[in-house]
Amino acid sequence: MRKYTTSSGKVIIKPFNKIWIVLAVLIVLLVIFDQFIYSYQITLSEIGVILKKMFTPDTNDTWGDYFSYIFTLKDPLVLTLQMSFAGSLIGSVLAVPVAFMASSNIMKSKWIYVPVRTLLNLIRTIPAMVLVLIGVYFVGTGVLSGIIGLSLFSFGIMAKMLFEAIETVDMNPYEALESTGANKIQAFKYAVVPQIMPTYVSYLIYIFELNIRASAILGFVGVEGIGKSISDNIPANYDHVGAAVMLLFVLILTIQMLSTHLRGRLQ
Amino acid sequence: MIKFVNVSKTYLNGVEALKSINLEVNDGEFVAIIGLSGAGKSTLLRSINKMIEITSGQILIDDVDIASIKGKELRMMRRSIGMIFQSFNLVKKMSVFNNVLSGRVAYHPTYKTILGLFPKEDKLLALDSLDAMGILDKAFARADQLSGGQQQRVALARALTQKPKLILADEPVASLDPITTVQVMDDFAKVNKEYGITIITNMHHVDLALKYANRIIGVKDGIVMYDGPANGINDEMLVKIYGRSLKHDEVLGETDA
Repeated sequence: MRKYTTSSGKVIIKPFNKIWIVLAVLIVLLVIFDQFIYSYQITLSEIGVILKKMFTPDTNDTWGDYFSYIFTLKDPLVLTLQMSFAGSLIGSVLAVPVAFMASSNIMKSKWIYVPVRTLLNLIRTIPAMVLVLIGVYFVGTGVLSGIIGLSLFSFGIMAKMLFEAIETVDMNPYEALESTGANKIQAFKYAVVPQIMPTYVSYLIYIFELNIRASAILGFVGVEGIGKSISDNIPANYDHVGAAVMLLFVLILTIQMLSTHLRGRLQ
Repeated sequence: MIKFVNVSKTYLNGVEALKSINLEVNDGEFVAIIGLSGAGKSTLLRSINKMIEITSGQILIDDVDIASIKGKELRMMRRSIGMIFQSFNLVKKMSVFNNVLSGRVAYHPTYKTILGLFPKEDKLLALDSLDAMGILDKAFARADQLSGGQQQRVALARALTQKPKLILADEPVASLDPITTVQVMDDFAKVNKEYGITIITNMHHVDLALKYANRIIGVKDGIVMYDGPANGINDEMLVKIYGRSLKHDEVLGETDA
């Protein structure tokens, strides 16, 4: 706080800038965080060592060897793409009827949409990794468990985003369809679906993107794919880990750009 | 034939929209309901296809009491009644053709309509309806590319595609300009005469109601003040219905279109 007195004797007070509080909190958090890291025996310098191992060739290798490893990742990469795509598609299709039931403008009764929404919230609290573990429990660590896990993950996100989109549509055509004698499902198909279709497709692309990102950690529970190429090489071959991470980085960036472009055209 | 017997409607907020209405509308009539906004015109109209449920009394359509019907039977009843809205209520992002075709969904099982399977007759019927409304060439345009008057014609075509006995119109021309208004009203007259479809419409513009309808129902505070031929309406009667003389926005004025 600072007090100013003008030449005419008027006093004006400059209010306290809240940015200092934010900065103070950040510094405190940083100190706590540093303690935390220290207690786990990982120092910042060690992170530096690992990073260096990841993004430079092994002592006996050349940069050529380093990058040639990327080409051996073709199969796991394709697997990851397939799993992510199947998971996005299955989850998103299953999400449609559930989003229908979660929309308060379609289901007028609270007794239907509130329980459905609660269920959706529950599903979304479970991390993708745990959902995949559920898949692993049922079908073992194959591609199928990845698809099951990613489908559940996609389903949770899509159902939530979709019902929120449904609640913003113009309900006038829906009323018109009901007046022609259409039932709820028919009226939904002909009055609501055409309105949310572009949004749905754009969400689908976004979820595909999320799935590829999530699949990077699936390797840690043994599911095949690019994630496994990462987890298998820790800690023996950090250079391979770095190469795989770079590949993943490029892949996600490409899909992000594609999806931004496609979604822009859909609107 | 539609028959109202002592029909009343009280909304949850206590507003009495209809007070013991008794009416009969015969097949083939063109009826206009006039009155102030809030007089109960819309409630009266929407109670006929049960878009609004009445509180007491009976509404009989071809001697069937509609109070008791629900579910599938209600949908069967609704599909024989077309409805036109002030804001057209089309799916703007969908083609005109699909909008019109959607008038047929109640004739088919859900799974077929979900897959978008319509018999060829339905598609031809939709195109015929568009042709009758003079907008066949717009069939595959997106609905939002059409002007307001054209959109209301699409809505009329959708209603025609239902093969209805009756069309209910809730302020069909209230959001149109005067020239388009006359064109759309001409279409209503055509639907009434050529297809023999009964028309019941709410009208904001009194002169239009008098020009097109052969019967006027004047409503004030949920009570029928006048029910008779259009030529029985005079200034005195209008004051009775409106509680005052007409404001200039309640008449359309001269249009020679």
